[in-house]
Amino acid sequence: MRGEEAAAAEARCPRSPELHDLSDDSDYAAAAAASSNHTVMRSDLADKGSVETARADVVYEKEGVTIHPMQYGSGRISGILRLYLQQGSLFLSWDPNEEVDSFSTSSATMEIEKYRNLYTVKALPLNDVRFIRKHSPAFNIGAEYIIIVLSSGLAYPPFYFYNSGLRELFASLKKHVFIIRSDDDPNVFLVNDFQDPLQKSLSSLELPGVASVANAMSRQNSFSFTGSVDEARHVTPSSMTEYVSKQKHKSNDPGRDLSIQVLEKFSLVTKFARDTTSSLFRENHNSGARTYGRQQQKHVLDNRANDKYTDHPITPDKGSLPSDSIESDNLPLVWGKQRDNPLSVEEWSNFLDPEGRVMDSKALRKKVFYGGVDHVLRKEVWKFLLGYHEYDSTYAEREYLAVMKRTEYEAIKSQWKSISPTQAKRFTKFRERKGLIDKDVVRTDRSVPYYEGDDNQNVVVLRDILLTYSFYNFDLGYCQGMSDFLAPILYVMEDESESFWCFAILMERLGANFNRDQSGMHAQLLALSKLVELLDPPLHNYFRQNDCLNYFFCFRWVLIQFKREFSFDQIMLLWEVLWTHYLSEHFHLYLCIAILKRYRSRIIGEQMDFDTLLKFINELSGQINLDRALQDAEALCSVAGDNGAACIPPGTPPSMPIETDGGLYVQQDEVL
Amino acid sequence: MASRRRMLLKVIILGDSGVGKTSLMNQYVNKKFSNQYKATIGADFLTKEVQIDDRLFTLQIWDTAGQERFQSLGVAFYRGADCCVLVYDVNVTKSFERLNSWREEFLLQASPSDPENFPFVVLGNKIDVDGGNSRTVSEKKAKAWCASKGNIPYFETSAKEGFNVEAAFECIARNAIKNEPEEEIYLPDTIDVGGAGRQQRSSGCEC
Repeated sequence: MRGEEAAAAEARCPRSPELHDLSDDSDYAAAAAASSNHTVMRSDLADKGSVETARADVVYEKEGVTIHPMQYGSGRISGILRLYLQQGSLFLSWDPNEEVDSFSTSSATMEIEKYRNLYTVKALPLNDVRFIRKHSPAFNIGAEYIIIVLSSGLAYPPFYFYNSGLRELFASLKKHVFIIRSDDDPNVFLVNDFQDPLQKSLSSLELPGVASVANAMSRQNSFSFTGSVDEARHVTPSSMTEYVSKQKHKSNDPGRDLSIQVLEKFSLVTKFARDTTSSLFRENHNSGARTYGRQQQKHVLDNRANDKYTDHPITPDKGSLPSDSIESDNLPLVWGKQRDNPLSVEEWSNFLDPEGRVMDSKALRKKVFYGGVDHVLRKEVWKFLLGYHEYDSTYAEREYLAVMKRTEYEAIKSQWKSISPTQAKRFTKFRERKGLIDKDVVRTDRSVPYYEGDDNQNVVVLRDILLTYSFYNFDLGYCQGMSDFLAPILYVMEDESESFWCFAILMERLGANFNRDQSGMHAQLLALSKLVELLDPPLHNYFRQNDCLNYFFCFRWVLIQFKREFSFDQIMLLWEVLWTHYLSEHFHLYLCIAILKRYRSRIIGEQMDFDTLLKFINELSGQINLDRALQDAEALCSVAGDNGAACIPPGTPPSMPIETDGGLYVQQDEVL
Repeated sequence: MASRRRMLLKVIILGDSGVGKTSLMNQYVNKKFSNQYKATIGADFLTKEVQIDDRLFTLQIWDTAGQERFQSLGVAFYRGADCCVLVYDVNVTKSFERLNSWREEFLLQASPSDPENFPFVVLGNKIDVDGGNSRTVSEKKAKAWCASKGNIPYFETSAKEGFNVEAAFECIARNAIKNEPEEEIYLPDTIDVGGAGRQQRSSGCEC
């Protein structure tokens, strides 16, 4: 941590007095001299078929810059990397060659063809670049490559320079943007690192050399995964109407929600980059390199967080962005991973060893995350997912546990069972708690046959478990919403004691949702706000401008984990997916964002204020396509990666609470 | 006068869990009653067009979670309210005793510009239960409390049977309108508000 801070401090205050100076670096001094010969000035690129580079001054151009979609074996795609100036700003592009390199096997060729467009970099403003990592192979065997990391934390796949040209690239960059070598890692070059007050003041003077960088900084805040690529320019006020009407035409075809589509395109790129880099770093036994990247991303995120109080509304800035339309951008549709079939009886038996231990709990959680659980297995599998059963417990141990826990449950239950009517008269807290629970159980899932009808015994069991829980965890007590959590558990377990313990262990994670000070809810809503800021800045800006940043319109979603939004059957599937904690403990927050993104064009287009938004969200109940939302959320969660995790403060439910001396649920003394 | 817009009147319903807030709102807006309402989580609202003295208004009625623990959310939901409806269950004494804290909590969180004169209406609900035999709070007691708080209008209702619900909400709407004049920016030529209207309010609804 200390090293990271030092690096950041160094980055903010480069030692060299001259802004663009890399002269301490002999490589670059030499390259700079050489580069003047290589610099190409062209004004007519129409023959390249690249509309957005028309009337651009190309300052660097290199053929044979290659990427390796490594999941397809030896496949490689060569292309042309360019830097060009357009209206004072520097852009980077990479266009793949028409033909796949002959190195590729024929089976890989098809796949690579499919993804050709995916890797194309159309017009990446250098303003969006956070740093470039250069990698030189040991003993000069193999090609040099660079990885470009954006301010958002997104990384492009490595670009390999088989025919040299990397020096010249850096020399060109140096001429047009502010770029310095990191003191922490000589292979990392920070771009637009404008934290130093002196530099800021210089930029405000609009000196010729820094003007473009200054522009860059003002725009950086409107950057987003979706925004930088396709969407930001459509969300500017001037073109909003057009955007909305386009979206409306498509609203009947949910498969064409563009924000998701583009996002997922990047999901793949990011995953690809992550896989590739990690594999490469492994190859080179260079474990430190990867750590640096991660720290750097964190650092970026911290900066963004610090900026949050400065207002940077999205400003229309058409000039700096190329203007191809959404329609012309024929991206392949890349979705989050397809939903799988539920875990079947046969698959489940394959997970167990002869004594009943789950042999590969991670694989099990993965399976459930992508497909859920066959209903007949829920009674058994939920106990593992919830943590009531240890994965490495045996059949015998679990049977023993059930007996012991039953006794323990009965003991806790007897605490309130033994309260006589006369004692109850003098026990206000008990009466009121019981009254509240009595009122709620009769209005919990009564349309589900299991809880239907007058004098339903299952409703009584619900009541008994909740009242027992309020004694087991007297500090937390009973709170509305708990009955919503318990009803599906009892329905699945069909056993009072087992349901109680499963519920109790779920509350270890979600009890903070019901804290009197609402701290658990506030933590989650804050994390949600941070995640939207990361994953969809235009939507975040919209919420900020419309006074919706408290995210109270998502309160019901978060408090009872979408219980009121889906059918009883769907909620069992959703919860078992969430309980796997497979990609994230906070997957439910990504689900919130996935749903918000699905409806973002309506939210923004109809200019919903807080009231309208709340009503709109409440009325989505029963309307949300769960499988699609889960798929979207998975893509979002993958894209966000470590940056997403860094948005969520430690101890945010459903993470296990951070224990304090005063007990888990320190509460002010109140009536209920 | 030409540019008169339909005015939005925001009404907040508060009261203990299970006193019938959601039922009252649904009975008034949808003329329906269900035994199957779920406990309200967070907040929701319904709107209804109403005509009061030849003028059209949109009544936006907010239903909130009744558990005390969720009161801190009020800040987000109470702002801009024109009238606050306090509901209790005539069969549950505690729900009546808590009216005062609901009232104070509302004034604290909504922080209206003129808390002394902010309009409240009190509803004693569920008078149908057990033919009135299980009743624990008398009408007299309730009215005495209302009088002590600046003559808050009081209605006895049954959301289940629809009894007195229409009348109660008409009074609620009228009181909400009286709270509006300060923001009567839509009627630039006919500002005729003075204090008269608001002083009258304390005498309750004659509707």
